[in-house]
Amino acid sequence: MLVWVPVTFIVLLLFWIIIIYNRLVSLRNEVKNAWTQIDVQLKRRHDLIPNLVSVVKGYMDFERNTLEKVTAARTRAISALGVQGKALAETSLTQALKGLFVVMESYPVLKSNENAMQLQEELISTEDRIAFSRQFYNDLVANFSTAIETFPNNIIASSFAFHKTEYFSVGEDDKERPAAELYSRTR
Amino acid sequence: MPLTFIDIEKQKTWRIAVFFLLLVFMYFCVTAALVQGILLIIFPFQFIKSGFPLVTGNLLYLFVVFVFSLIIAAIHFFVSSLNAVEAIMNNLGAVPPDREDGIHRRLINIVDEIHIVTGNKRMMRCMVIPSLSMNAMAVADLRGDSVIAITEGLLSRLTRSQTEAVLAHEAYHILSGDCMETTVAASLFGMYAAMIERLQALGEEDSPGIYPVFFLFWILLKASQLLSMFVSREREYRADAASVRMTRNPLALAEALHRIGRNADGSGFIGSGLEMLCISDPQETAQQEEGVWASLMSTHPPIKKREEILLRMAHASIADLEKRVVKAGVASLTPAQSQGQYYVLNPERHWQGPCTVADLVSFPWISPRSWISTGPGQEVERASENVLIHAALAERITRSGQEFSPFTCPLCKQALHEISYEKTKVYQCNYCRGIMVDDARLPRIIVRREIACTERITSLARAATKDNQNRILMRKMQGKAVCTVPLVPCPKCHNSMMRTFYSLAYLIEIDRCNYCDIIWFDADELAILQCVIENKMTAGSDTLAE
Repeated sequence: MLVWVPVTFIVLLLFWIIIIYNRLVSLRNEVKNAWTQIDVQLKRRHDLIPNLVSVVKGYMDFERNTLEKVTAARTRAISALGVQGKALAETSLTQALKGLFVVMESYPVLKSNENAMQLQEELISTEDRIAFSRQFYNDLVANFSTAIETFPNNIIASSFAFHKTEYFSVGEDDKERPAAELYSRTR
Repeated sequence: MPLTFIDIEKQKTWRIAVFFLLLVFMYFCVTAALVQGILLIIFPFQFIKSGFPLVTGNLLYLFVVFVFSLIIAAIHFFVSSLNAVEAIMNNLGAVPPDREDGIHRRLINIVDEIHIVTGNKRMMRCMVIPSLSMNAMAVADLRGDSVIAITEGLLSRLTRSQTEAVLAHEAYHILSGDCMETTVAASLFGMYAAMIERLQALGEEDSPGIYPVFFLFWILLKASQLLSMFVSREREYRADAASVRMTRNPLALAEALHRIGRNADGSGFIGSGLEMLCISDPQETAQQEEGVWASLMSTHPPIKKREEILLRMAHASIADLEKRVVKAGVASLTPAQSQGQYYVLNPERHWQGPCTVADLVSFPWISPRSWISTGPGQEVERASENVLIHAALAERITRSGQEFSPFTCPLCKQALHEISYEKTKVYQCNYCRGIMVDDARLPRIIVRREIACTERITSLARAATKDNQNRILMRKMQGKAVCTVPLVPCPKCHNSMMRTFYSLAYLIEIDRCNYCDIIWFDADELAILQCVIENKMTAGSDTLAE
């Protein structure tokens, strides 16, 4: 009779290990999925930029500098390699685009050009989507890290080789933000 | 006092769970009592003999009643909530967003963004309610279908980040299952109401045993309504917290709530029981009461309290909020006015002005060779030499290269061009500048204020309204309609259009075709109508006399 006690104990332990392992696996897969979503949005931005540049070029003859910066940043971002390289290139593209939006504000005629406004809206939406998918990814990474590091789970995590993943952040980009509150002005 | 949104969510979670359990418990009590009542009717003698027991000690009997009531309740829930979304959307007249409209496209983009930030866990459609009131609601039914609906009035009055905050709030209601619970609760109350009516009908005839049961139902109904209101209030706080968590922008939600709360146009009338699904209680904004009883019986927490919590997160105060909202309202109209004033030499060789670029370009006789100057004693130049005016005039020329539509202008008999006015598609004649608008798109154009009301339009509006007022008086005195201008044919179907005033409050003449549901505005009439409604120039009002 007494032999049943350790047997049930072992069975329960096995169940517990299996449940936690499965949970860690599904969290890890969600993190990977969220990472690919960011790529999708970045690509969308790459495709929209040439259209916007060609539409506003006719109106903004004196802003060649800004336009060229945007085009150059885009080319760099498409050809960037590696996680860090990509993140840096995408950040500089965001900066160039912000500069372009600020300049577009001083051309009121552009407001009546439907194409330009439409493209600007699409680009603003894309920036938002990139930000939201980054946010979602970071939230998932935080969840996963908590799950790996808290006490009962960390034993299982380390024995099955679950590793922490990196947050998607490139450090100091927010400090260089221009003063204009873009998204509230460009309706 | 919780300072961050995470703390608020944690605090409110367990309370909601407890309340909801109580609610479920009460539903089952009611159905058990209902079954008892039915048995009472069917087997009155046994019950009277044993002295009206409402709860007997017999376990098997209780279990049977429990299971039976569970089955009946389940059937009722499923039957009534299965197609709730379709029914509610049809009731409100909601339509999917219009892809040809700039602001609706922005709405579609925002809903996509919400899907991204929630990880695409659930597909939510969005619909637009063609009402000028300001409200948003979320509905979900047991089939898994879910919809976020927003009124035209709200969509056109909020900025992009404010719309995001409102939609995130509604999306949370759907994702957390609140909407399904609320729809189910609403259908349950329908069951009680129907039952009580039937009991009232029965009660006239007989059986003293009926009355205590009736009273019991009534008490349970009121108590469950009260409890459910507590639950829904807690849920609103929770949804506000979740919206901030998604958009990381508490200020935008506070501003949106502020605009909704102080809006004089109202939040519209939504059917009974559905108020719980909206972002703000339609009746609260109408009455603006605070105080214990009002706050007990309302389905939403008072807007002021919600704003305070949000503003505390943003380290701002309500005074700051007021200033920002007022500034934003003014700022959206000033782009035209801040451009600088010009004087222009008109064909009669008189200097006219000061006027803005928008006004200048709208003069029918303006040409690139007109002389303009920034002020007396300043340099005089040709209009084409000024960069801004040149660009505006060039815009007019390039616009005529736009797409022709199959519709013809009733006055000029030329094809109409598609243009975008207030971000929505309308058809304009390049010669007489008359505009054809679909009936469904007109409310949007009236609400939106992208295009400022120029001085010229305002004075034209006043003149037109006064003129029409006099005409109505003349008609009354002369006793019959005198129509001096012939009726024009419809651009689509070529039948004669009906000439009426837009409404008796706003006396602007328009031509309407009732077969095709379109409205024809002569040159400037659409701008005049917008100006009249914006400034509320009704017959006999003060703004008219200025």
